[in-house]
Amino acid sequence: MELRILKYSTFFFSIALLWSCTKEVQIDIPGYQEQLVVDGRIETGQPAIVLLSKSANVYSSTNFDSYLNSFVDDAIVVLSDGTQTDTLTKICTDDLPPGFEQIAAGIFGIPAEILVNLHLCAYVSLNMLGEVGKTYTLQIAHEGKQYAASSKILDPVALDSLYWKPEGNFTDRGFSWAQLTDPNNTADAYLWEVKYLQDFQFSKTFNPYFNDKFFNGLTFDFAYENPMSFQDTTSINDYRGYFKQGDTIVVKMSKLGLKEYNYFEKKYNQIFSGGSPFAVPTNIPTNIEGGALGIWVAYSPWVDTLVCN
Amino acid sequence: MHILVIKLLPLRRIDVIATLLFMKTLLSLLFISLSFLVVAQKKATVSGYITDARSGEALGIARIFVQELKTGTVVNNYGFYSLTLPIGIYQIEYRCDGFVTIEKTIDLQANQTISLELEMAVQEVKDIRVSGKRSDNVNSAKLGQMELKMDQVKTLPAFMGEVDVVKTLQLLPGVSSVSEGGQGFYVRGGGPDQNLVLLDEGVVYNAAHLFGFFSVFNADAINSVNLIKGGMPANYGGRLSSVLEVNMNEGNLKKFKVKGGIGAISSRLTIEGPLKKDRGSFVVSARRTYIDLLVKAALSDTSPFAGSGYFFYDLNAKLNYKLTDKDRIYLSAYYGKDIFSFKDNNGGFQVEMPWGNGIAALRWNHLFTSKLFMNTTLSVSDYDFEFASTQDEFRIALTSGIRDYTAKVDFSYFPNPKHRIKWGAAYIYHDFTPTSLSAQNDTIVFNTGVAQHLYSHETAVYALDEFDVNEALRINAGLRYSTFTHVGPFDRYIKGDGISTLDSVVSYDRGDIIAFYQGLEPRFSFRYLLPDNSSIKGGYAYNYQYVHLVTLSAVSLPTDIWFPSTDKAKPEQGFQTSLGYFRNFAKDRYEASVEVYYKGMKNLIEFKEGALPGDNVNDNTDNLLVYGDGWAYGAEFFLKKTSGAFTGWIGYTWAKTERRFPDINEGNNYPAKYDRRHDLNLVGMYKLNDTWTFGASFIYATGNTLTLPASWYVQDQNLLFQYGPRNSTRMAPYHRLDLSATRYGKAYKTKTDPATGQDIQVKKAYRSNWSFSVYNVYNRLNPFFLYVDNNGDFMSGNFSLSIKQVSLFPIIPSVTWNFEF
Repeated sequence: MELRILKYSTFFFSIALLWSCTKEVQIDIPGYQEQLVVDGRIETGQPAIVLLSKSANVYSSTNFDSYLNSFVDDAIVVLSDGTQTDTLTKICTDDLPPGFEQIAAGIFGIPAEILVNLHLCAYVSLNMLGEVGKTYTLQIAHEGKQYAASSKILDPVALDSLYWKPEGNFTDRGFSWAQLTDPNNTADAYLWEVKYLQDFQFSKTFNPYFNDKFFNGLTFDFAYENPMSFQDTTSINDYRGYFKQGDTIVVKMSKLGLKEYNYFEKKYNQIFSGGSPFAVPTNIPTNIEGGALGIWVAYSPWVDTLVCN
Repeated sequence: MHILVIKLLPLRRIDVIATLLFMKTLLSLLFISLSFLVVAQKKATVSGYITDARSGEALGIARIFVQELKTGTVVNNYGFYSLTLPIGIYQIEYRCDGFVTIEKTIDLQANQTISLELEMAVQEVKDIRVSGKRSDNVNSAKLGQMELKMDQVKTLPAFMGEVDVVKTLQLLPGVSSVSEGGQGFYVRGGGPDQNLVLLDEGVVYNAAHLFGFFSVFNADAINSVNLIKGGMPANYGGRLSSVLEVNMNEGNLKKFKVKGGIGAISSRLTIEGPLKKDRGSFVVSARRTYIDLLVKAALSDTSPFAGSGYFFYDLNAKLNYKLTDKDRIYLSAYYGKDIFSFKDNNGGFQVEMPWGNGIAALRWNHLFTSKLFMNTTLSVSDYDFEFASTQDEFRIALTSGIRDYTAKVDFSYFPNPKHRIKWGAAYIYHDFTPTSLSAQNDTIVFNTGVAQHLYSHETAVYALDEFDVNEALRINAGLRYSTFTHVGPFDRYIKGDGISTLDSVVSYDRGDIIAFYQGLEPRFSFRYLLPDNSSIKGGYAYNYQYVHLVTLSAVSLPTDIWFPSTDKAKPEQGFQTSLGYFRNFAKDRYEASVEVYYKGMKNLIEFKEGALPGDNVNDNTDNLLVYGDGWAYGAEFFLKKTSGAFTGWIGYTWAKTERRFPDINEGNNYPAKYDRRHDLNLVGMYKLNDTWTFGASFIYATGNTLTLPASWYVQDQNLLFQYGPRNSTRMAPYHRLDLSATRYGKAYKTKTDPATGQDIQVKKAYRSNWSFSVYNVYNRLNPFFLYVDNNGDFMSGNFSLSIKQVSLFPIIPSVTWNFEF
């Protein structure tokens, strides 16, 4: 929510670009160092999935091969919940178990038919699923360096209700609405995801993370747009962002820890400010110890289905 | 120096008590020292006011010189002078640049009052003068002080036709602009908040219009501009780097006059005249841009952006009245507002952003004796900013502001020509609103906390003496003592981790003292005359600054937040030491100087890395701040030609300024964002004849620093960046040439004198001029900022990253028509 309402830096940036003349320049940017990037998550009832890659120089090649080559497949990743330990299994796209193609496509953002011809690997905890109340510690060994991070699956927060209503002049298009009673006296942070009933993967909305800084302990209604509609090339522009009357959607609102939320808040701040000089240049604060970038996050989801009527 | 923090003391005005005790001690010392000034020789005082014969306005830059004693004095800002001499007969010269010098022989047997009106030299712009005090370059003990007269400023190239005193100041060595076209200025490595900007002694907190491209100072309303960038005398305080004194016109005491101008983006009108001839006068000056009207004309009613626009206006007004020969009052007021609106009717998005200053100052001059002059000032300064955004049913508004109530009194005492003594006291009541946020979605009002006000008392007392030890050595020594008290009501938020420890609040009641600071600020400067029309000057100044400007952006914006010292945010402290060699050539037609300086600063303030504007909702702004040190050093070279048809100057500065914050850049030193190694300014004005005057300015400056991403990575299919060290990238050098030409209508007409029948030259009542300017003559695309641009996507194989440079202003010609009658 904050990102939606407080991006005046982005606003100034847009105005400046409208007004100005822009050209490409080559300029010395000191400070590059290659770093391991951790993209790991676990949620209630699901295995941990960890992707590892490396950062690249801002002036380095940006073709598809360089992107593929940035992934790491020679690390040892160990997950612990305080009592159990599981060394994560490396699963690569060119050797996927049957039925895992769509999952992998969702994880890597690459169509399954292309992905199966590539060698991209994820580390998966096949022997351990997330449980509410447990803290999960990730340990990574790569190229002689050790990295570690912890994250806890918190108690989930349920929505009071979920509904749909037409928006503006439309009679058959509208946002999904929800009523939330935020727990009092605790600082809470959430991730909002949604998918059509028939879809395999959840999609994130434009600004999917929010905290209760403005509504701690309040009961209130709020709306979220349809992120899938922006990928639908058959949809006309006027319908982008809306759910159609009759759609059946699944909403997943996951609670996450504040340190992890801080990562995502700064991440989306960086994405939206887009390098604007009107914003302080900010490195995203990782929770990975040992000099890596990225995040290890545990989610506590609450899931509900809505028929848009 | 003593720093004392007192928390939760019972209601007790320790600041006032401490100030009074110190003032008592200071004044005791002062009068003890004055007792040594009493000498057996019988003396008398000549004093009075020097004014402009055309308008009756004070000539604040006039000088008085006693031939026989080879000594003299200068008038103060109100045109008052006082000279106490041994009784005798003297030849006294009253001089002011651009005016006819008056020589008077006086037989000084008893105190005398001689007030004079100086006539303007026949041709007003015959000798365009860069500085009002030619000989001051060598003689004065003031270090790093520059004066601008508006006649000079108006002959220089003007950006979009808007004559601008701050942009002219940026052409002086040691002064640099914050960015292309920017109004904020940096002085010797200090931040923009370290400059005390005074308009008729009222503090201006945001001296910029249009995101910083124009200053709030309407050239038609301004009489003179004085910048002190080093060796700040003890009568000034509250800022570390500089003082910019802007004095408004007083209004014509003799006749009504109207002047104005019509420019490319704005017009202005000034009316002045006597309230009672030679007794009191008024001046009212107004200016408004019409960018909004131009935008409205360009956008059709059906445009999705219809309703968008921007304009600013400002209004200056001043009254002055001579109550008696010893009493005069001045009432000055300024009100200016910027209003920016943006509408995207298709997207249901709307922004309203107004901001502006309001200043009012009431001053009372009183002459106790011919040797003792007093000025008392009561003023209020107000600055407000608001940003309101509406998206469909969601609305958020963010406001911030500051209001000051100031009372101060300054005494000037002239016991003899060798001593010029000042003392005084000041009190400021600050009311800060760093950020107030409100948010609403349809009927739901979000909990955005209570608007936080921070209240504080700032006091100061000072005394200084500028005295001549002998003919060669002049010393200006002063001491300032200041206090600052942060008082309740105030809520101190103590942040928990949100899980095991919860947030808590400590509340202070009205009048509770939350923090108290005090400090001694010694000031010292000297001038030592050398035989070859040259001198050496040096100085040391220690300053406390109790208010701070914190910014979330890499460039100055009206969104920057003023914030006071609190129990967490300590006062900024700084010292500056400087040494210079000054020399005049060719009968003072050329002035040259070399100055070196070193400045140290501590308790500087920045936002934490990653702080966001809304982070201080239900929190204190100072919980988001980090603190560090800074230092700057450099050398300034200046050569100017002060008279003749061609005048101008060359200024070059070599400088370095760095910062060290434990919580920024991993605690490593880094260059300040305005660290500039080289800064070269060439300025020239040429008076071809009575009709045409030409101006030119050229700037070359090392590019500003900034922080850019050194690497990229992907997380959850999002492209992210890892930035390099703070301010480690330097933009391309900035250089620009501006030209101007001013065509004056005839100032005089020929008329037959009915008494003599002869033709005489009579000044025309109506005069006008056309001012042509070309900004950025060779269309240099100077960098405003750089950013990383990314296009395409990996899957389609067309993903690319590139560094883009944004430049704001290409070549911009402009024309302005000015008139007066």
